[in-house]
Amino acid sequence: MRLAVIVHVTGTLVRLFAPALLAPLAVAALYREWRDVAGFLVAFATTAIAGVLMRRAGGPAGDDIEQLRRVDGMAIVAATWLLIAHLGAIPYVWAGVDPIDALFESMSGFTTTGATVFTDFAAFGRGIFFWRALTQWLGGLGVIALFVAILPRLAIAGRELFFAEAAGPTDEKLTPKLRQTAIALWQVYVALSVAEVMALLLAGMPLFDAVCHAFTTLAAGGFSPHPLSIAGYNSAAVDWIITGFMFAAGANFAIQYRAARGGHVALVQDEEFRAYLAVTVIAVVALLPFLAMDGLTPLEALRHASFQAVSILTTTGYASVDFELWSDQAKMVLFILMFVGGCAGSAAGGPKVVRHILMARLTMRELKRTLHPRGVLPVKLGGHVVPEHTLRDVQVFMLFYMLAFAVGATVVVALGADLISGITASIACLGNIGPGLNAVGPMANFADLHPVSKIVLTLEMWIGRLEVITVLVFFRSEPWRSARWA
Amino acid sequence: MRIIIVGGGEIGFALSKTLAGSHEVFVIDQAASVASRFESLDVQFVRGSGSDPDVLERAAIARADVLVACTGLDEVNIVACAVARQLGAPRAFCFVSREEFLELHEQKGLAMFGIERVIWPEAQLAADIERIIRVPGALDAETFADGAIQLVEYRLDASSAIAGHRIADLHLAHGALIVAVRRGEAFFIPRGDSELAHGDRIVVVGTPDGLRDVARRVTTAADGARQRVAIVGGGDVGLRLAERLDAADAADVTIIERSPERGEMIAAQLRRALVLNGDGTDLELLESEDIGRSDVLVSVIDNDERNLFASLLARQLGVRRIITRVSRAANLRLFERVGIDVAISARGAAVASVLHQIQGGTTRLLALVEQGAGRILELDVPEGYASRALRDLAPPHNSIVGAIVRPSEAIVPRGADRIEPGDRLIVFTTHDAADRVRNYFSHVSA
Repeated sequence: MRLAVIVHVTGTLVRLFAPALLAPLAVAALYREWRDVAGFLVAFATTAIAGVLMRRAGGPAGDDIEQLRRVDGMAIVAATWLLIAHLGAIPYVWAGVDPIDALFESMSGFTTTGATVFTDFAAFGRGIFFWRALTQWLGGLGVIALFVAILPRLAIAGRELFFAEAAGPTDEKLTPKLRQTAIALWQVYVALSVAEVMALLLAGMPLFDAVCHAFTTLAAGGFSPHPLSIAGYNSAAVDWIITGFMFAAGANFAIQYRAARGGHVALVQDEEFRAYLAVTVIAVVALLPFLAMDGLTPLEALRHASFQAVSILTTTGYASVDFELWSDQAKMVLFILMFVGGCAGSAAGGPKVVRHILMARLTMRELKRTLHPRGVLPVKLGGHVVPEHTLRDVQVFMLFYMLAFAVGATVVVALGADLISGITASIACLGNIGPGLNAVGPMANFADLHPVSKIVLTLEMWIGRLEVITVLVFFRSEPWRSARWA
Repeated sequence: MRIIIVGGGEIGFALSKTLAGSHEVFVIDQAASVASRFESLDVQFVRGSGSDPDVLERAAIARADVLVACTGLDEVNIVACAVARQLGAPRAFCFVSREEFLELHEQKGLAMFGIERVIWPEAQLAADIERIIRVPGALDAETFADGAIQLVEYRLDASSAIAGHRIADLHLAHGALIVAVRRGEAFFIPRGDSELAHGDRIVVVGTPDGLRDVARRVTTAADGARQRVAIVGGGDVGLRLAERLDAADAADVTIIERSPERGEMIAAQLRRALVLNGDGTDLELLESEDIGRSDVLVSVIDNDERNLFASLLARQLGVRRIITRVSRAANLRLFERVGIDVAISARGAAVASVLHQIQGGTTRLLALVEQGAGRILELDVPEGYASRALRDLAPPHNSIVGAIVRPSEAIVPRGADRIEPGDRLIVFTTHDAADRVRNYFSHVSA
């Protein structure tokens, strides 16, 4: 690790991020929420100054980003996300939120988790709710991806950063140039967001709510300015619109870009997308009888089953109904979905469908190997052989993912939560889903957990969003021992 | 005709041997050691590179009628053909051994060099083997007229119901005709009073329906059941065969390849087939993988001895049908004599098709049967031909009209069926009668 470079580049990214705080400032000013305006101003100033100082501290040595090594890239990404979460928490603290809660809320935003510690929504202004939604929207596709798109110089060294942040075991570029790829992805993202705002307006939602929901839907985030989440609008049209856009947010944006350009074959041909679609359909069908038994009409059952299955699968975490009240059977379906996640290269969190496909094929291969010890048995995806090192990465990921889940759940339960709440809180944060079950269910929140639990869950969100390895590698002593300043 | 052959390998030698009798043949090869082999033939040997214009000039390329490039190097063959066409040779045939060149030709890429035909013997062999596998119990299989007419060869086992009967007493379905019988070394066209015996290999031509009836009576191999196919050797032929079976999802394929790297490459290309890393002559491997239960074993290693060994092991393990590739023509009969069901050579078919195309005529050679002992010819009945019944014709000895193909139908004719102008005839003949058949029907048409 070369610390000077890491500090310098992280500072650059933080400085670039600062202007984002001016948007909620403008919203707060529009609604004359002057206390919040001051909060955003302080946050903006702190962020900008921190960025500039870090760039300075990195000095001339830090400017040598041409030869960024993999570990440097991971350090920059991990540090940037951690720092931005802290800086983004300033407006919440200013608005009177406890610092640990503020960090939890901020990290929950950037990592598109959507778990909240806000209990009384009336206590906050529109600027704060806009900021919550915006953090998710920025975090959904990745802040680094945004900076690569707008900063040509970063694209040179951006490769390591870009893929350290990207969701899923993918390194595909849509175009030969990384910057164009980032721009293309943001185009899809923005286009879908605008489309959702339009659709929600047509369905009768107020403009402010429509924008906030579009931000948090496409990011697979799940924050809602409404205390009852989507259930608060009690509209079938809204439910179906959001179900559709959540599904898009959980699908690979690169493939959606290609599908939009060259017909729809790209979607049909993609093995992960087909599996993603199949999981969705199976989950909905599995939920239907349980909801029907609870007395819902078939149409209502279909609507809520679809909404809730897609919401949890894509790790969005909205609620169209208080699913905490559902039968245990129905909740079990949702619980399983929490461990799936969306597609690689989407805004969704979780382990991702493609990793499950690969794990299933790896298992089948090992079974087959016992029957055919001399067999040459490659694992394939989409007709192509998946390299062994990728398979190893997937196995390691799954191992650490489950480990992080178990540790988190243990801590939360040890500190006083009940078993179901502890387990679901851990997976909901690690998988960037948001609500869990029981005490952390869709209509409850995380406010009553022990402060240490909140810190652990905050860390889980960070680890989960950066796909475990990027963060966990720094729990080894090696990168630190080899660290030097320049 | 003046024919130039570039490359004095197995293919070049086989071509020269056949053509030297009636044509003026030049053979070009760089290796002096090759020259001695051609001394026994009445050909002109020119030492040098076939892609060198000076060497081609020495073989009087400008006055040549056709050039066949058949060295072991695809690029040399292509360049030789291109140079020859530039220097005035009117026709050029090019042998290749890699898929990309064949594909090029289909996209007209090699036509750019003036190459008339690209021949890839290994690909032809793979296609031939696939056809045989697809017909349960068959030793040979061909299809003509877009599948309306088929040819199948069977061996009459001890359990066969039709052995020991006269053909006339069999009352075969209307759509099937036994056109040839091999009994020991004898190969003949049977008549109604010919009696079939155990161990005979019979060649049947017919429509799909007619053949189904024959298959029921000749073989116990179930039609339509999914076959287990084991392929020993993942070279060009093995891989291509596996690919074809895989793409059609026609069989459960196991392919045994010795080289780990090659095995990985093969596994990457195939969707369903099981690739095993090992030796096809490793008895332990064959037993642990239950190869003995295969319906068909195809041994296509590029080495006759190891092919034979693998095939005999498979026979011992109880594989019902064994198809083995043979490189040296001299080994063909030998292999079948020691119990291989089908011994098949990549070069034989390719050489025959080139020979036929060079010598031309109005007939087309559709297939070789029993390593060339029998031939399937196709000829068009010209306009102005006086229609007459088949029984009124006296075609040459050792030939038989197997099928009449018309735009509306394809029939296996009986004596009363008439041959009309515009018909296309599929004629079976032994190889010594092929020329007479060609002459007879052109005479009839005159």
